[in-house]
Amino acid sequence: MHLTDDQLNEYLDNETAERAQIETHLASCADCATRLTALQTLFAEIESLPDLALSRSLAPRLTPHALALPRWLTLTATLQAALALIAILLAAPVFATRLPVIQMPSFADLLLQLQSQWALFFDTITTYQLPTLPQLPPLEISTFVLSFTLAGASLLWLVGNGLLLRKQIRN
Amino acid sequence: MSSVAENIPATFSPPNLYYNSAMTAPTDRDLIVSAMRGDGDAFGELVARYQTNVFNVCYRILHERGEAEDLAQETFLRAHQRLDQFDFEREFGPWVRRVAANLCLNHLESQKVAAPLDEDRDADESQRPERQVEVRERSEQIRGALASLPPHYRVVVELRHYQEMSYDEIAAELKIPLSDVKSHLFRARKLLAEKLHAPD
Repeated sequence: MHLTDDQLNEYLDNETAERAQIETHLASCADCATRLTALQTLFAEIESLPDLALSRSLAPRLTPHALALPRWLTLTATLQAALALIAILLAAPVFATRLPVIQMPSFADLLLQLQSQWALFFDTITTYQLPTLPQLPPLEISTFVLSFTLAGASLLWLVGNGLLLRKQIRN
Repeated sequence: MSSVAENIPATFSPPNLYYNSAMTAPTDRDLIVSAMRGDGDAFGELVARYQTNVFNVCYRILHERGEAEDLAQETFLRAHQRLDQFDFEREFGPWVRRVAANLCLNHLESQKVAAPLDEDRDADESQRPERQVEVRERSEQIRGALASLPPHYRVVVELRHYQEMSYDEIAAELKIPLSDVKSHLFRARKLLAEKLHAPD
Protein backbone atom coordinates (compact mmCIF):
# COMPACT_ATOMS: atom_id res chain seq x y z
CA MET A 1 0.00 0.00 0.00
CA HIS A 2 1.36 3.40 -1.04
CA LEU A 3 1.43 6.70 0.84
CA THR A 4 -1.38 9.11 0.04
CA ASP A 5 -0.80 12.56 -1.50
CA ASP A 6 -1.95 14.10 1.78
CA GLN A 7 0.68 12.13 3.71
CA LEU A 8 3.44 13.25 1.34
CA ASN A 9 2.33 16.87 1.51
CA GLU A 10 2.13 16.84 5.29
CA TYR A 11 5.54 15.15 5.50
CA LEU A 12 7.21 17.84 3.39
CA ASP A 13 5.40 20.58 5.31
CA ASN A 14 6.58 19.11 8.65
CA GLU A 15 2.96 18.82 9.71
CA THR A 16 2.68 15.10 10.40
CA ALA A 17 2.88 12.97 13.53
CA GLU A 18 3.67 9.87 11.42
CA ARG A 19 7.12 11.00 10.34
CA ALA A 20 8.94 7.81 11.32
CA GLN A 21 6.43 5.50 9.62
CA ILE A 22 6.48 7.57 6.42
CA GLU A 23 10.29 7.49 6.29
CA THR A 24 10.30 3.73 6.81
CA HIS A 25 7.89 3.34 3.91
CA LEU A 26 9.84 5.70 1.65
CA ALA A 27 13.03 3.71 2.25
CA SER A 28 11.41 0.60 0.80
CA CYS A 29 9.04 2.02 -1.85
CA ALA A 30 10.57 3.47 -5.03
CA ASP A 31 7.20 4.72 -6.35
CA CYS A 32 6.47 6.79 -3.25
CA ALA A 33 10.08 8.05 -3.15
CA THR A 34 9.70 9.24 -6.77
CA ARG A 35 6.42 10.98 -5.94
CA LEU A 36 8.10 12.66 -2.99
CA THR A 37 10.97 13.87 -5.19
CA ALA A 38 8.49 15.29 -7.72
CA LEU A 39 6.70 17.15 -4.94
CA GLN A 40 10.02 18.47 -3.60
CA THR A 41 10.88 19.74 -7.08
CA LEU A 42 7.54 21.54 -7.25
CA PHE A 43 8.22 23.15 -3.86
CA ALA A 44 11.62 24.34 -5.05
CA GLU A 45 10.11 25.78 -8.23
CA ILE A 46 7.36 27.65 -6.40
CA GLU A 47 9.87 29.10 -3.97
CA SER A 48 12.37 30.01 -6.71
CA LEU A 49 10.34 32.98 -7.96
CA PRO A 50 12.59 36.06 -7.86
CA ASP A 51 11.38 39.25 -6.21
CA LEU A 52 10.46 42.03 -8.61
CA ALA A 53 11.48 45.64 -8.04
CA LEU A 54 8.88 48.34 -7.53
CA SER A 55 8.57 50.88 -10.34
CA ARG A 56 8.26 53.67 -7.78
CA SER A 57 8.75 54.06 -4.07
CA LEU A 58 5.58 53.95 -1.99
CA ALA A 59 7.05 55.87 0.95
CA PRO A 60 6.64 59.45 -0.35
CA ARG A 61 3.03 58.79 -1.36
CA LEU A 62 2.16 57.14 1.91
CA THR A 63 3.57 59.49 4.48
CA PRO A 64 0.94 62.28 4.12
CA HIS A 65 -1.85 59.70 4.13
CA ALA A 66 -0.30 57.94 7.07
CA LEU A 67 -0.42 61.15 9.03
CA ALA A 68 -4.13 61.50 8.42
CA LEU A 69 -6.54 60.82 11.25
CA PRO A 70 -6.99 57.12 11.98
CA ARG A 71 -10.29 55.61 10.89
CA TRP A 72 -11.55 54.95 14.41
CA LEU A 73 -11.05 58.60 15.27
CA THR A 74 -13.02 59.85 12.26
CA LEU A 75 -15.77 57.39 13.10
CA THR A 76 -15.82 58.76 16.62
CA ALA A 77 -16.17 62.30 15.27
CA THR A 78 -19.12 61.21 13.13
CA LEU A 79 -20.64 59.46 16.11
CA GLN A 80 -20.13 62.55 18.26
CA ALA A 81 -21.86 64.73 15.66
CA ALA A 82 -24.80 62.33 15.50
CA LEU A 83 -25.08 62.22 19.29
CA ALA A 84 -24.94 66.03 19.49
CA LEU A 85 -27.76 66.30 16.95
CA ILE A 86 -29.88 63.83 18.90
CA ALA A 87 -29.17 65.73 22.14
CA ILE A 88 -30.26 69.03 20.53
CA LEU A 89 -33.47 67.47 19.25
CA LEU A 90 -34.26 66.03 22.68
CA ALA A 91 -33.37 69.21 24.56
CA ALA A 92 -35.16 71.65 22.25
CA PRO A 93 -38.72 71.13 23.65
CA VAL A 94 -37.47 71.43 27.28
CA PHE A 95 -35.63 74.70 26.69
CA ALA A 96 -38.42 76.10 24.52
CA THR A 97 -40.83 76.02 27.48
CA ARG A 98 -38.33 77.59 29.91
CA LEU A 99 -36.92 80.40 27.79
CA PRO A 100 -38.85 83.72 27.83
CA VAL A 101 -40.72 84.40 24.65
CA ILE A 102 -38.64 86.67 22.44
CA GLN A 103 -40.56 89.67 21.13
CA MET A 104 -39.61 90.25 17.53
CA PRO A 105 -39.82 93.96 16.50
CA SER A 106 -41.95 94.78 13.48
CA PHE A 107 -40.42 95.67 10.12
CA ALA A 108 -41.53 99.31 10.47
CA ASP A 109 -39.79 99.58 13.86
CA LEU A 110 -36.61 98.17 12.35
CA LEU A 111 -36.70 100.73 9.52
CA LEU A 112 -37.24 103.57 12.03
CA GLN A 113 -34.29 102.43 14.14
CA LEU A 114 -32.11 102.19 11.04
CA GLN A 115 -33.13 105.69 9.91
CA SER A 116 -32.40 107.27 13.30
CA GLN A 117 -29.00 105.53 13.48
CA TRP A 118 -28.13 106.81 9.99
CA ALA A 119 -29.20 110.35 10.89
CA LEU A 120 -27.02 110.26 13.99
CA PHE A 121 -24.04 109.00 12.00
CA PHE A 122 -24.54 111.63 9.25
CA ASP A 123 -24.80 114.40 11.86
CA THR A 124 -21.55 113.26 13.50
CA ILE A 125 -19.70 113.21 10.17
CA THR A 126 -20.86 116.68 9.04
CA THR A 127 -20.10 118.40 12.35
CA TYR A 128 -16.69 116.76 12.82
CA GLN A 129 -13.89 119.26 13.62
CA LEU A 130 -10.35 118.43 12.64
CA PRO A 131 -7.88 118.92 15.48
CA THR A 132 -5.63 121.98 15.09
CA LEU A 133 -1.96 121.29 14.42
CA PRO A 134 0.67 122.94 16.62
CA GLN A 135 2.46 125.90 15.03
CA LEU A 136 5.90 125.01 13.65
CA PRO A 137 8.70 127.56 13.81
CA PRO A 138 9.15 129.31 10.44
CA LEU A 139 12.02 127.94 8.29
CA GLU A 140 14.37 130.46 6.78
CA ILE A 141 16.03 128.73 3.83
CA SER A 142 17.49 130.71 1.00
CA THR A 143 16.56 129.91 -2.60
CA PHE A 144 20.18 129.05 -3.38
CA VAL A 145 20.47 126.44 -0.58
CA LEU A 146 17.10 124.89 -1.56
CA SER A 147 18.09 124.67 -5.26
CA PHE A 148 21.49 123.22 -4.37
CA THR A 149 19.96 120.55 -2.06
CA LEU A 150 17.38 119.53 -4.70
CA ALA A 151 20.07 119.28 -7.41
CA GLY A 152 22.28 117.16 -5.10
CA ALA A 153 19.41 114.82 -4.21
CA SER A 154 18.50 114.42 -7.92
CA LEU A 155 22.11 113.62 -8.79
CA LEU A 156 22.34 111.01 -6.03
CA TRP A 157 19.07 109.45 -7.18
CA LEU A 158 20.30 109.22 -10.79
CA VAL A 159 23.68 107.71 -9.82
CA GLY A 160 22.08 105.21 -7.44
CA ASN A 161 19.53 104.02 -10.01
CA GLY A 162 22.18 103.88 -12.71
CA LEU A 163 24.32 101.59 -10.54
CA LEU A 164 21.35 99.34 -9.77
CA LEU A 165 20.36 99.06 -13.45
CA ARG A 166 23.94 98.27 -14.46
CA LYS A 167 24.06 95.45 -11.92
CA GLN A 168 20.75 93.99 -13.16
CA ILE A 169 21.85 94.13 -16.82
CA ARG A 170 25.08 92.28 -15.95
CA ASN A 171 23.12 89.51 -14.20
CA MET B 1 -9.96 48.58 23.08
CA SER B 2 -6.42 49.05 24.29
CA SER B 3 -4.96 52.49 23.80
CA VAL B 4 -1.84 53.27 21.80
CA ALA B 5 0.05 54.26 24.93
CA GLU B 6 -0.70 50.91 26.57
CA ASN B 7 0.89 49.05 23.68
CA ILE B 8 4.13 51.01 23.78
CA PRO B 9 6.74 49.17 25.85
CA ALA B 10 7.72 51.07 28.97
CA THR B 11 11.43 50.30 28.46
CA PHE B 12 11.54 51.98 25.08
CA SER B 13 13.65 55.09 24.60
CA PRO B 14 12.26 57.27 21.80
CA PRO B 15 14.60 57.32 18.80
CA ASN B 16 15.04 59.98 16.20
CA LEU B 17 18.10 58.42 14.70
CA TYR B 18 16.86 57.47 11.26
CA TYR B 19 17.46 60.93 9.89
CA ASN B 20 21.19 60.46 10.25
CA SER B 21 22.67 57.60 8.27
CA ALA B 22 25.95 57.84 10.18
CA MET B 23 24.22 56.67 13.37
CA THR B 24 22.97 53.19 14.15
CA ALA B 25 19.81 52.35 12.20
CA PRO B 26 16.76 52.11 14.46
CA THR B 27 15.03 48.76 14.79
CA ASP B 28 11.58 48.13 13.39
CA ARG B 29 10.30 48.23 16.94
CA ASP B 30 11.74 51.72 17.49
CA LEU B 31 10.18 52.93 14.25
CA ILE B 32 6.78 51.44 15.11
CA VAL B 33 6.75 53.18 18.48
CA SER B 34 7.69 56.51 16.87
CA ALA B 35 5.02 56.01 14.21
CA MET B 36 2.45 55.29 16.93
CA ARG B 37 3.36 58.63 18.46
CA GLY B 38 2.56 60.34 15.16
CA ASP B 39 6.01 60.44 13.57
CA GLY B 40 5.34 60.22 9.83
CA ASP B 41 9.02 59.92 8.93
CA ALA B 42 9.35 56.81 11.10
CA PHE B 43 6.46 55.18 9.29
CA GLY B 44 7.98 56.26 5.96
CA GLU B 45 11.18 54.42 6.94
CA LEU B 46 9.16 51.26 7.69
CA VAL B 47 7.48 51.56 4.30
CA ALA B 48 10.86 51.95 2.61
CA ARG B 49 12.12 48.80 4.37
CA TYR B 50 9.21 46.54 3.51
CA GLN B 51 7.67 47.95 0.35
CA THR B 52 9.41 45.49 -2.01
CA ASN B 53 8.44 42.54 0.18
CA VAL B 54 4.84 43.64 0.39
CA PHE B 55 4.67 44.47 -3.30
CA ASN B 56 5.90 40.97 -4.18
CA VAL B 57 3.26 39.35 -1.96
CA CYS B 58 0.62 41.36 -3.84
CA TYR B 59 2.19 40.65 -7.22
CA ARG B 60 2.37 36.88 -6.63
CA ILE B 61 -1.34 36.85 -5.76
CA LEU B 62 -2.67 39.45 -8.22
CA HIS B 63 -0.23 39.10 -11.15
CA GLU B 64 -0.77 42.67 -12.29
CA ARG B 65 1.82 45.31 -11.48
CA GLY B 66 -0.45 48.36 -11.19
CA GLU B 67 -2.93 46.55 -8.96
CA ALA B 68 -0.13 45.06 -6.90
CA GLU B 69 1.37 48.51 -6.28
CA ASP B 70 -2.03 49.94 -5.34
CA LEU B 71 -2.70 47.07 -2.94
CA ALA B 72 0.80 47.39 -1.48
CA GLN B 73 0.05 51.04 -0.75
CA GLU B 74 -3.32 50.11 0.73
CA THR B 75 -1.56 47.50 2.87
CA PHE B 76 0.64 50.15 4.47
CA LEU B 77 -2.34 52.43 5.07
CA ARG B 78 -4.14 49.58 6.83
CA ALA B 79 -1.00 48.73 8.76
CA HIS B 80 -0.73 52.33 9.95
CA GLN B 81 -4.36 52.35 11.05
CA ARG B 82 -3.82 49.09 12.96
CA LEU B 83 -0.48 49.91 14.57
CA ASP B 84 -2.19 50.00 17.96
CA GLN B 85 -3.05 46.31 17.46
CA PHE B 86 0.54 45.36 16.66
CA ASP B 87 1.99 42.71 18.95
CA PHE B 88 5.52 43.77 19.94
CA GLU B 89 6.46 40.14 20.58
CA ARG B 90 6.24 39.50 16.83
CA GLU B 91 8.08 40.78 13.77
CA PHE B 92 6.71 43.63 11.68
CA GLY B 93 7.67 42.05 8.31
CA PRO B 94 5.58 38.85 8.60
CA TRP B 95 2.71 40.86 10.11
CA VAL B 96 2.55 43.38 7.27
CA ARG B 97 2.91 40.59 4.67
CA ARG B 98 -0.09 38.81 6.19
CA VAL B 99 -2.08 42.05 6.02
CA ALA B 100 -1.13 42.25 2.33
CA ALA B 101 -2.18 38.65 1.61
CA ASN B 102 -5.56 39.19 3.26
CA LEU B 103 -6.15 42.43 1.40
CA CYS B 104 -5.32 40.76 -1.92
CA LEU B 105 -7.68 37.88 -1.18
CA ASN B 106 -10.50 40.32 -0.37
CA HIS B 107 -9.68 42.23 -3.54
CA LEU B 108 -9.81 39.07 -5.69
CA GLU B 109 -13.04 37.94 -4.09
CA SER B 110 -14.63 41.32 -4.74
CA GLN B 111 -13.56 41.19 -8.39
CA LYS B 112 -14.53 37.59 -9.18
CA VAL B 113 -12.98 38.07 -12.61
CA ALA B 114 -9.71 36.52 -13.68
CA ALA B 115 -7.21 39.32 -14.20
CA PRO B 116 -5.07 39.17 -17.32
CA LEU B 117 -1.46 38.28 -16.78
CA ASP B 118 0.99 41.13 -16.56
CA GLU B 119 3.69 41.45 -19.17
CA ASP B 120 6.30 41.98 -16.50
CA ARG B 121 9.54 40.12 -16.79
CA ASP B 122 11.56 38.30 -14.16
CA ALA B 123 15.24 38.78 -14.76
CA ASP B 124 18.36 38.49 -12.69
CA GLU B 125 20.94 40.86 -14.16
CA SER B 126 23.81 39.00 -12.49
CA GLN B 127 23.33 35.94 -14.73
CA ARG B 128 24.39 35.20 -18.31
CA PRO B 129 21.88 36.33 -20.98
CA GLU B 130 20.88 32.76 -21.95
CA ARG B 131 20.40 31.81 -18.31
CA GLN B 132 18.45 35.04 -17.74
CA VAL B 133 16.08 34.09 -20.55
CA GLU B 134 15.61 30.58 -19.10
CA VAL B 135 14.95 31.93 -15.60
CA ARG B 136 12.57 34.52 -16.96
CA GLU B 137 10.62 32.00 -19.00
CA ARG B 138 10.34 29.54 -16.12
CA SER B 139 9.33 32.33 -13.73
CA GLU B 140 6.65 33.41 -16.15
CA GLN B 141 5.37 29.83 -16.34
CA ILE B 142 5.25 29.58 -12.54
CA ARG B 143 3.54 32.97 -12.22
CA GLY B 144 1.09 31.95 -14.94
CA ALA B 145 0.31 28.70 -13.17
CA LEU B 146 -0.18 30.53 -9.86
CA ALA B 147 -2.43 33.08 -11.55
CA SER B 148 -4.66 30.31 -12.90
CA LEU B 149 -5.47 29.08 -9.37
CA PRO B 150 -8.66 30.11 -7.57
CA PRO B 151 -8.10 33.07 -5.17
CA HIS B 152 -8.22 30.99 -1.97
CA TYR B 153 -5.67 28.52 -3.33
CA ARG B 154 -3.30 31.35 -4.31
CA VAL B 155 -3.41 32.88 -0.86
CA VAL B 156 -2.85 29.56 0.90
CA VAL B 157 0.17 28.88 -1.36
CA GLU B 158 1.47 32.39 -0.61
CA LEU B 159 1.13 31.95 3.15
CA ARG B 160 2.64 28.46 3.19
CA HIS B 161 5.46 28.75 0.64
CA TYR B 162 6.47 32.41 0.83
CA GLN B 163 5.52 33.33 4.37
CA GLU B 164 6.30 29.90 5.84
CA MET B 165 3.22 29.76 8.03
CA SER B 166 1.99 26.51 9.59
CA TYR B 167 -1.38 25.00 8.74
CA ASP B 168 -2.80 26.21 12.06
CA GLU B 169 -1.49 29.75 11.52
CA ILE B 170 -3.00 29.87 8.02
CA ALA B 171 -6.34 28.61 9.35
CA ALA B 172 -6.32 31.31 12.03
CA GLU B 173 -5.24 34.03 9.61
CA LEU B 174 -7.86 33.22 6.97
CA LYS B 175 -10.48 32.17 9.54
CA ILE B 176 -11.13 28.87 7.79
CA PRO B 177 -11.08 25.28 9.14
CA LEU B 178 -7.80 23.36 9.19
CA SER B 179 -9.28 20.80 6.80
CA ASP B 180 -9.91 23.60 4.25
CA VAL B 181 -6.32 24.79 4.54
CA LYS B 182 -5.06 21.31 3.72
CA SER B 183 -7.48 20.70 0.88
CA HIS B 184 -6.79 24.13 -0.69
CA LEU B 185 -3.04 23.69 -0.40
CA PHE B 186 -2.87 20.11 -1.67
CA ARG B 187 -5.23 20.79 -4.56
CA ALA B 188 -3.31 23.93 -5.46
CA ARG B 189 -0.06 21.95 -5.58
CA LYS B 190 -1.66 19.26 -7.71
CA LEU B 191 -2.94 21.86 -10.18
CA LEU B 192 0.46 23.59 -10.26
CA ALA B 193 2.21 20.27 -10.90
CA GLU B 194 -0.17 19.48 -13.74
CA LYS B 195 0.48 22.86 -15.35
CA LEU B 196 4.22 23.02 -14.80
CA HIS B 197 5.14 19.41 -15.43
CA ALA B 198 2.70 18.64 -18.22
CA PRO B 199 4.45 17.16 -21.29
CA ASP B 200 4.73 19.69 -24.16
